[in-house]
Order: sequence, then C-alpha cells, then structure tokens
Amino acid sequence: MEAGRSPNIEILTNASLNAIEGKPGAFKAKVYQAPRYINEDLCTACGMCTMYCPRPIADTYNERLDITRAPHIDYAQAIPSSYYIDAKACLRVNYSTCNLCAQTCTAGAIDFSQQPKELTLDVGAVILAPGFGRVDREVLEKFGYGTYPDVVTSYEFERLTCASGPTEGHIVRPSDNRPPKKIAFLQCIGSRDETCGNGYCSSVCCMYAIKEASVAKDHEPDLDISIFFMDVRTQGKGFDDARKRAQDKYGIKVHRARVPRVEQIEGRLALTWTNEDGSHESEIFDMVVLSEGLASPEDAEKIAGVAGIELNHYQFCKTSVGSPLATSKEGILVAGAFQGPKDIPESVTQASGAAAIASELLADCRNEKTVTVTYPEERADLQAQEPRIGIFVCHCGVNISGVIDVKAVRDYAASLPGVVLYDDPLYSCSQDALKAIAEKIKENDLNRVVIAACSPRTHEPLFQETLRSVGLNPALIEMANIRDQCSWVHAQEPEEATEKAKDLVRMAAAKARLLEPLEQPTVPVTPVALVLGGGAAGMSAASSLADQGFEVVLVEKEKALGGNLSRLTWTLDGDDAARVLKDMVARVKKNKRIKVMTGATLQSISGYVGNFTSTIAVGRKKTEIVNHGVVILATGGKEYKPLSYAYGESSRVLTQLELEEKLQRGKGFLKNAKNVVMIQCVGSRGDDMAHCSRLCCTQAVKNALKLKETKPDLRIFILYRDMRTYGFYEDLYREARKQGIIFVRYTPDRKPEVLKQSRGIKVRVFDRLIGEELNIPASLVVLSSGIAPMENQELSQILKAPLTSDGFFLEAHAKLRPVELSVDGVYLCGLAHGPKSLEESVAQAKAAAAKAAIPLAKGRVAVAPIVSRVNKDQCIGCGLCEALCPFNAIRLVKEGKRKKAETITASCKGCGICATRCPTLCISMGGFTDEAIMAQIHAFSPDGCKGGDGS
Amino acid sequence: MVLGGGVTGVQAALDLAELGYYVYLVEKKASIGGVMAQLDKTFPTNDCSI
Amino acid sequence: MSNNPEIKEKEMAQDGFDPRILGFFCHWCCYAAADAAGVSRYQYPPNVRVIRVMCTGRIDTRFILEAFKCGADGVFTGG
Repeated sequence: MEAGRSPNIEILTNASLNAIEGKPGAFKAKVYQAPRYINEDLCTACGMCTMYCPRPIADTYNERLDITRAPHIDYAQAIPSSYYIDAKACLRVNYSTCNLCAQTCTAGAIDFSQQPKELTLDVGAVILAPGFGRVDREVLEKFGYGTYPDVVTSYEFERLTCASGPTEGHIVRPSDNRPPKKIAFLQCIGSRDETCGNGYCSSVCCMYAIKEASVAKDHEPDLDISIFFMDVRTQGKGFDDARKRAQDKYGIKVHRARVPRVEQIEGRLALTWTNEDGSHESEIFDMVVLSEGLASPEDAEKIAGVAGIELNHYQFCKTSVGSPLATSKEGILVAGAFQGPKDIPESVTQASGAAAIASELLADCRNEKTVTVTYPEERADLQAQEPRIGIFVCHCGVNISGVIDVKAVRDYAASLPGVVLYDDPLYSCSQDALKAIAEKIKENDLNRVVIAACSPRTHEPLFQETLRSVGLNPALIEMANIRDQCSWVHAQEPEEATEKAKDLVRMAAAKARLLEPLEQPTVPVTPVALVLGGGAAGMSAASSLADQGFEVVLVEKEKALGGNLSRLTWTLDGDDAARVLKDMVARVKKNKRIKVMTGATLQSISGYVGNFTSTIAVGRKKTEIVNHGVVILATGGKEYKPLSYAYGESSRVLTQLELEEKLQRGKGFLKNAKNVVMIQCVGSRGDDMAHCSRLCCTQAVKNALKLKETKPDLRIFILYRDMRTYGFYEDLYREARKQGIIFVRYTPDRKPEVLKQSRGIKVRVFDRLIGEELNIPASLVVLSSGIAPMENQELSQILKAPLTSDGFFLEAHAKLRPVELSVDGVYLCGLAHGPKSLEESVAQAKAAAAKAAIPLAKGRVAVAPIVSRVNKDQCIGCGLCEALCPFNAIRLVKEGKRKKAETITASCKGCGICATRCPTLCISMGGFTDEAIMAQIHAFSPDGCKGGDGS
Repeated sequence: MVLGGGVTGVQAALDLAELGYYVYLVEKKASIGGVMAQLDKTFPTNDCSI
Repeated sequence: MSNNPEIKEKEMAQDGFDPRILGFFCHWCCYAAADAAGVSRYQYPPNVRVIRVMCTGRIDTRFILEAFKCGADGVFTGG
C-alpha cells in the first residue's frame, strides 16, 4: 500500500462524491468531505486519545468483535496514519461535553472546530472502484446468525484467525471463548440464491473458505473442518492445485450439499442436509462459518445517479464483453468488484486496465498537473564522516515481539561500535514511524541506518526513500531480517531467537559501518512497445498503447490478426464475436502509431528494460530489427485437441468450438438429432492437463441454450464435475436448468464413456442421483475440450521468462503484479497467462498496456545501483570477467595500449561473479564489497573473530 | 479522480500517478485499504495481506 | 544413530553439539525461499546466521575460509 507516499495522489478520506458535471477531459466533481476532528499533520498516532475516551464503540475493522473508542485508528498500518473521531459516537461532537481527548493530546492535534468541506475538483476521467457491499442481514439470520452466537460470518472468522485481530489469532467460539473442535463452512450465503435477489455467483467464496479453513488448521491442527459446497469453484490460475493441496494436507472434508438451516442443540449447532443420492445426514458442530457473498455496494444507486451510469439487474455496474471497463457514460470507467464479483488479482488487473483507458483519454495532458518529488541534496560532508549509526528494532506488532525480546535486542544494539541512536518502533514501516525515523536521522546527524525488522526484499525501498527524504544516500541502509527469517521460524524458541536476532543485528551493523553512498544510474527509454501476438489481447494492448501516444510494433505469427477470437462465433454473453473482432482489427489498422507485422515471430531479444533490440523473422527468409523499450507478451493459447471419447473416430463427436462453427453455418445438421451429450473437463483438471480451463462450463451452457433455441425439442445432457459458471454467468446456468437441460455430475474415478455402435454412438455415465448407469443414445457428443498453452518453451528461453508447471507464463506476483513478468520491462496478458474469457483478456490487455506505458511515459528508468565497478588502475585486461558474465554486462575496451574491463551498468544485475573471479580483486560490487561481507563474517563471531589467526 | 480506496482504487491511483497524472483518491471511510486490509492471508499462497 | 532426522537432531543435541552455521543466501532464490518459509511459518532450528548476497557467484572461497576461521561449524551456501 504505497499510495500514501506518492506526491501525485491526494487522498480524501471521509469523502463522498455528490455530483459530477461536464464532459470527458473536463469534468467537475463535487466531493463532500466530513471532518476527522483530528489534524492529520499534527497527529503522532500515540493512541492517548483512544485511551482516555470514555465512549466505547464496536470496532468495525475487527467486525465488531472488539471494542474501541470514539477517537481511534482502524489499524496500525492505516493510511493516513492519523487517528480520527467517530462523529456519531463522540460526546463532544454530539453533546458539547467531555473534551477529554483534546486535553490529553500532547500534539494538540484534536480540533473540534473542523467543518465539513465541499470540494470542487477538475478531473479529466473518473474511475469508479467502490468495491462490494455486504449481504443483507436477513439472509444471514436465516442461518441463525444473530440468534446463535457461534454462527459467525466469514469476515468475523477472518479477524479471529488474524494475529493482529481481537483474539491475536486464537480461534474461539464467541459463546464461551473456548476453542471449537468442529467447524462447518456453509457456502453460497447470499450468492446463487434468487430468494435474496443475488442470483449470481460471488466467485471468491470457495477460495477464501478453503484459505480460512487451511489457516485455521495451521493454528489448530486437530480441528475437524467440513465445507459444504454446491460446486467447488476454484477456476482461477493455480487455484485448483491449491485446493487439492489444502484438501490433502489438512484433510478438510468436502460435502456437496446446500444446508438449508442451522439449529442449536444443547449449546452446539446441528446441520441437516441432503446428499447427492437423496439420503439425509445430520451432524453437530461447535461453530458455523457463513461464507458471505459479495453484494453490490450499498451506495450503488447513489453512485449511478450521481455519475449518470447504468447498472445491471443485480445493481452492479453495466459493461460489455468488448469493453469491460467502460460504463455507459464516456470518460467514466469502472474497475473491481463493482463491475462484477471478483478476486484480488482480477480487481488489480482491472484497476490497471481502467488506468490505461483514462490515460488514453488524457494522453494530451500527461505530466501537466503532476508534481515531481525533489529530494534534498545529499549531505556529502555528513556521509563522509565516521559512521554514526542509528538502529531501529521493529516490534512488527506482535510478529517479532511475540517471540523475540525486542527491548533486549535494542539494548544490545546500543553497545555496538558506532551506534549513536537506538529505538524500537511498533511498526517501523507505518507512516508515523517513518516520519519519526526521518526526524531522528536529522536530529542525531546519523549517516548509517540499520533496520532490524522484516525482509529487505520487500521493505528496503521504503526505508531507502526515508533516507533520501533527509538527504542521505539510499545505499546507506542495512536491514537485519529478524521476522521472516527469525521470529516467524523459531516461534517455539524465544531465547535462541533473541540470540539470533542479536547476532543478525551485530552483523548488519558491521556491514553498515562500511557502506558507501552509491550513484543512482538511470537510462533512457526507447518509446516503442513490441507486442507479441495479434489476438484479442495483443490487439487491445497495442491499441491502448498507441492511443496513449506510443509507437507499437505488433507481431503476429499467422497471416491475419485475430487469434482465437476469429474462431469464436459468440462471446459468452451471446454477442456476435465477429463484430467484436472486426472492431478490434479496424481500431488497430487505422492507428498510424501501430505497425503490424504478420507471418512474423520473435527470433531473439537482447537488452534490458528501456533498451531492447529484437530480431523478428518475417516469412521464411527475411528478418527485421526492432528497437523498443518494453515487450507485451500476448501469444495466446489454443484449443485442446481431445485424445479420448472417440474424438476423431466419429463425425458425431465434436469440440465446443467445432459445434459453434457448425451452428453458424446453419441448423441442417440438427435435422434428425434427438439427444446431445456434452462432456466437461475433457483434457482439463487432471484429465490430461492439470489446470481448470475456466470457461468451458459457461461455454457449454451457452451452446446448449443456443441448441435449445434452434431446436427446442432436443434433449441435452451436460456431464460435469463442478459447474463453474462464476459471476453473472450463473444466470445462464439457471436458465439452462429452467429450459430442461439435464445436468449429471460425474467424478474422475468414474468417467463417462463414449461407445461406438453399429448405428450411431451411445454415452454411458453413472448417475449419482438415482445410483444407476445411464445409457444415452447420442446424435451428437460435444466435448468441452479446455484451453492448452502454446509451445511456450522456446519463447520462455528467449525472454528468460519462467513458465508455470501447466506451461503458461508465470507472472511476477499472483496478487499484486498479475500482468508483469519477473523480467523487467516484459508484461503479460491474455491466454498466454492462463485460460480466461474474452472479457477478462481485454481487461488484462489494458492492464498490461498501463504497466508497459509507465516506463515509456517516464522516459528514463532507474537501474539498481548494486552494479559492479572496475578499478581500471588495477585491471590487467585478462578478460576473465567478460567471459564469465552471464548477462554480457562487462566488456573489454581499449584504453591507450591496453585493454580494460568496463561495466555496462544498465545490463549488470549485481551478481558479483566478476568480482569473485577477478585475479587482481579490482572489481567492487556496490553495496556488497569484499570489505563489507568480510566485516559481516567477522561479526558472525560474537567476539569479532579475534580468535582467528589475525591474517 | 478515483472513487474508492480499496485495493482496486489504490492500484488505479498508483498506476495513473506513475503514468504522469495527478489523482484524487476519494474514500468514504477514514482510511484506505478497503476489505483487503481486513484479511489476514490471501489464497492460494497465504501471503500477508498488508 | 538413527536415520530419522528428528531423532538424529535430538541425539545430536544430547551430545551437546549445537553448531553455529553461517549461511550465504542468494537474494533471488534462497533468501526469497527463506522469507517464504517464514511466511508459511515453517519451523527450523535457530542455528544459522545469514549473509545476503546478490548471487552465489559472489561467494569468494576466501569468504568460506574466513567463516570457518571465525568459528563457524558449518557454512551453508544457497542459490
């Protein structure tokens, strides 16, 4: 959550949108802002006000499971990191009495004279991201919520499992505060339920229930946990795998039933349900968790009214498959759960996608309104002085201090040479603590900083920025990882962990003493993007980048643009796929900034973010060189070709795409058809490929409905494992059942069989409901063959971009960086990332375009300063380093008569192989010098290695 | 302007700022972060939410 | 001695052997994996002290020898 630090993001809290007028590019937004009654700039987040306030209120952050006071902060890392007063509860605000907090606040931050503000903002585009709302309480009450204390919502359970929650992560029953032994999760509470108006699937509850159950089992391995699903919908990338692991590792019981109600018997909770074969079963549990779905935001109608946009029949924002992020009003975009229930990676993806569209609209005024941060000049004199080290030992709430004696480590740090200041912040990464660290650096003229907290991999940039803000070079910090690699992994050995923490702090301090300021190199960016793949994703990404003002080279291996979209007849919501394709191709072709190369593939690539050079093979013989700053990978996927179910042996066995192609040509082939059988998960979910192909369920239902529409007397069977018609696609599934389409569930240990007979074919499947085998004479068998990855190995090697075990490209971070690859400057979208719908591909392509546009818009990229440096006086020009460097980042250049090694800073990854092998030890690594590492090794010994032979 | 300070709104605001635009992030509550800040771990990697 | 690692560990502890190990962890893989172990709350003995390097290629043999000189009973390189 870095938003608090960007100078170009102004956060308006307690604020709501009251009106919006004008047109795209020049909206006037009226925003009402309620007072916080605490001045953000003065508040030090000391917590005194909360302590003295006499007015207890329920802590909504902790789902009302805890109590706080009228003045409070939601959670320790909250942004803004300032307390606020709950105006509804405050005695001073409502009755003009009390005023205790104002008297106790030593910072003088409490200000009851604050008035509500009405702001008018000039904005060019609006992105609506109000998230989702809660399911009506009545729905929960049907399951005993509010009547039986041990029926809790999944949100409440989440807080109970959280270490910083009201019970510090101990799972207890609310009725008696004792640990439960048996827990049941009920799925689809307020989802897939027309009686409460939420006919859609919330798309996330199956995953979070499995997660909460796994976390609970981590805390209490003896817990007995059952989850009651209708279908297990873990269709996300890698999710099926995670579900299987959770089931195997934790022994979580899966029931396929919808439990109608919860009863209380002798203080425990009784569930009764109907199994698939029609039998009834009852069981008693200690606690029941209701997996609450995602509802439309409470203020959806108000937002729609103010913004003038349309909602769909579930009160979510209305969008279309071809432009999933556009509302019905130009210049107003939507992202996240308001567009439809979705999980974090998809929300993050849509957010970036919406940013790309806003950037397309506003390309002409880029950088007009922004402010750039200027850091104070580095205090070279101070940096050159003897080390004056400040050590900050972080509590990380209870994450560190729950195991390690933080005060003892802090006091030990004080005894180390060169240390002039030591402290122990509660959360050193919180905004207020960073401010305090900056102050302390200034006050004490510190020139080296050690942060003993979590991992430098995640948090070093944050602290480096703090250093820069007070005129210190960002290289002058060293972190000791006493959380991820100490308190978390030695939870049962507090004393040893404390000793280890002391050692790590001593070693970090030893290195810190020898840290030197490093120059921050930047390199210019070639403002051209290379987009690989001319399908829906590639074309969307290319158009977006071009509209944002950048040159694009679009490379497609086939003769024409279109990819899989050109094989599609209808989109999942029944739209004409050909029209969507035509629009996309037209948009690409008319854009002068896009150069299209068809029949072309990437042959090789060299360089780094900002400065890539690629060789593109065109046709058989020609090659072309392209210089570009970024790459978007949109090379797609393909239809899986079935190996079983008599595919290829009988003309009556088709894939779903083949069926669509036939349907498009006319209905003649259905003339004598009576029964159509569709088989799901052909190839997917462990059949041949491990992953779930995500859209075949919806595709099957869509095509079944089309068949019904074409020939109403057809009998259609869909043989499935879990119907994964997530989100609003659930409507199609319901419609299909209403239309009499027959759904039969099968399990992988008893797959359906396609049997060829003298005249026609027959499908045999075990029907679990009646407990008998069905023999269906089939006029047509339609196989829902999934989505397979392309042969990505070669491209993966060319780009040095890793693949998942399923053969799709692997993103840098599944949650927070879903469209970036681990290689800087390379972005990912579409089926190359994993199976997804057209709508999702388009949103992801826009997101990739936003991310790729960032370096292009900035014009320069920063390179990590941890590169190698050659001391040319000592270099003998042997060339060993050049030969060994895996990144071609060091070369020999002629200087006078001799050859000398020289680092190509932008290519150097700082691995240090050159430094290790240099026979004259003349290569030094920024931040990891021989001296610094030696100092760490010496500090490994508690007595500073004085016991050595002194060499 | 971005309406909503949950993970979606924050990401959109960050990207826009990086792309060279000034962003107003309008949140109805007293702090940004939305529901994600209430989560302990995330599926399927059990990474920390904050 | 038993081959079961848990029992073996106990036996070694009974023998009074509590080694001090110095680890050189590659930033990209081993160090990241050690962080991930923390996130998953895997538990392991607290005997190792870690020096982060950007690549195991950075580890000079001199570093390893120096570690032994400084009292390390073992050196762990992970990359």
